[in-house]
Amino acid sequence: MDRVQALLNCLYKEAELLDEGRYREWLTLLAEDVRYRVPVRVTKERGPEGGVSGVMGGMYHLDEDYTSLEMRVARLETGFAWAEDPPSRLRHFVTNVRIGEPRPTPKGEETEVRSNLLIFRSRWDRPDHTFLSAERRDVWRQEEGGWRLAGRTVILDSATLPTHNLAFFF
Amino acid sequence: MARVKGGVSSRLGRMLEELQEGIEDGLVPAWIFNDPELFELEKEKIFSRSWVYLAHESEIPNPGDYVLRYVLNNPYIVVRGEDGVVRALLDMCRHRGMRVCRAELGNASHFRCPFHGWTYRNDGRLIGVPAEREAFGPGFNKAEWGLCPIPRLEVFDGMIFGNLDPEAPGLEEWLGEIRWYLELVTKRSPAGLEVLGPPQRWVVHTDWKLALETFLSDSYHTLMTHRSLIELGIAPKDAKYAMYGEQIHIPGKGHGSMVVGAPPGAKLPPFWGYPEEMLERARTSYPTREQFETARETRILLVTLFPNFSFHNPIRKPDHKYQGTVPMLTFRVWHPLGPGRIEIFSWALVEKDAPEWFKEKTRHSYLRFFGSSGTFEQDDTEIWSHVAHNAATAQGRELRLNYRMGLELEPDPNWPGPGVAYGLNFTDANMRNFHRRYLEMLLS
Repeated sequence: MDRVQALLNCLYKEAELLDEGRYREWLTLLAEDVRYRVPVRVTKERGPEGGVSGVMGGMYHLDEDYTSLEMRVARLETGFAWAEDPPSRLRHFVTNVRIGEPRPTPKGEETEVRSNLLIFRSRWDRPDHTFLSAERRDVWRQEEGGWRLAGRTVILDSATLPTHNLAFFF
Repeated sequence: MARVKGGVSSRLGRMLEELQEGIEDGLVPAWIFNDPELFELEKEKIFSRSWVYLAHESEIPNPGDYVLRYVLNNPYIVVRGEDGVVRALLDMCRHRGMRVCRAELGNASHFRCPFHGWTYRNDGRLIGVPAEREAFGPGFNKAEWGLCPIPRLEVFDGMIFGNLDPEAPGLEEWLGEIRWYLELVTKRSPAGLEVLGPPQRWVVHTDWKLALETFLSDSYHTLMTHRSLIELGIAPKDAKYAMYGEQIHIPGKGHGSMVVGAPPGAKLPPFWGYPEEMLERARTSYPTREQFETARETRILLVTLFPNFSFHNPIRKPDHKYQGTVPMLTFRVWHPLGPGRIEIFSWALVEKDAPEWFKEKTRHSYLRFFGSSGTFEQDDTEIWSHVAHNAATAQGRELRLNYRMGLELEPDPNWPGPGVAYGLNFTDANMRNFHRRYLEMLLS
């Protein structure tokens, strides 16, 4: 199977695991040195460099490593994680996938993968729902046993989040 | 206490009488957490007359630095002028009312209105009017048309507060004896505090009083709401850990604090687990010996200022496998957006002179446990939203909720700090005190 198709499969498989709440399996997709970040986004004027702005360094909504992601998963398994128990109905829509060129690194061959993400979240029996829209800037690494997510930066399209917590994964 | 007076509808008047009659018996009607008419009165009587937290000075350290902040729906540019003075300027052009500040934060020598081009210095002075002579004639006096400052602005130990009421009492009088508890954080180091980046902001369908209550007086919720963290070994093993502390309120002011030590038998380091060098600095930076001694025995500290500012300063592990503990500090504004709807502004802060490794660890402790994704806080917001929903239902809104915890408690005569203290933190005393002040302001 070619590299592009293999990486697309990774993204879709990951979305399936997250939508189905199979978080232990999701953890197996992560590299041990994964860095998983969702920076705070603010409204800024268009800078001289052009393009979008407002991605803040220093403060994040999530700034995780493997241990802290594992902790969040373990918490969901305690039976007392009310924010996601009962679980939300989540749907990760992954589109506009852009796959970079392979790049050898001391830890294995890595590829930058950018994708657009729309998360639908519905809780309880209420008719309302929330959407979160973002771009994901990933680094996927070929390791023994398959591709692993080695880095993810989630560029949110909201400055003020329209949902009451981020008790799920992007 | 004065009976319900004019200025409110008969419907709301009857409702407030119910609150007034119930509060001393520890009965609070559920409707106060989601009622449109009450929210309108809160806007007028509470938020238009109270000192509201805007920003921390470390967010705008240099001349021209600004952040955009709100009191109710009024936008203010909180900006440090070239003269070093901090101001809060209403973000509204004096010509046609357009916003002149186009970003949440930044650095600017001036603000220019995109509508007709009126331009203001970052101290609020109007300095540029396109075609001034042709359009407005020779008698036009720019000095009369500067940006409007917030009616009152005061700074306490780096904390910038604004007040819409020009007749409001000064900030020092407003704070009163809660100052002693604020200083446990602001005076912990001679260098003071700094923010670790801009605030996280998110919307929760709940009432500002309900969110505030958790940080003002509700240590009782930790054993169930935050049970998952106890299971994981993040929170102390004794589920009643937050009970072993002092709850203090400032009568007449509505403010309160919770000062929690280590549960019996728990091995928690003193002084929140701060590095030894910081404990040494604290020894001389606290204004009083009592504050230093209290701080040394503290593991969890919460302070809430009437009406809608809280901070929380607990001891935490950055994750469940980390050996040891790191304290974290978060500042909160429970910003009211409407009945049953708030926006949370949440900052992480740290002592300016803390070691770099510590700043990074405390940032991680904050991110993983509090704030928008925090594993403690996400369960709070889940629960608050259901309470607010129920508080707007036809039958549910009529329920009187139980605020009777600790009604029989006697104040602790040995507590070294000011205010009325109770030696058991499982009490609603701070909340009953809050509601007395709340009613007093609503009815005056």
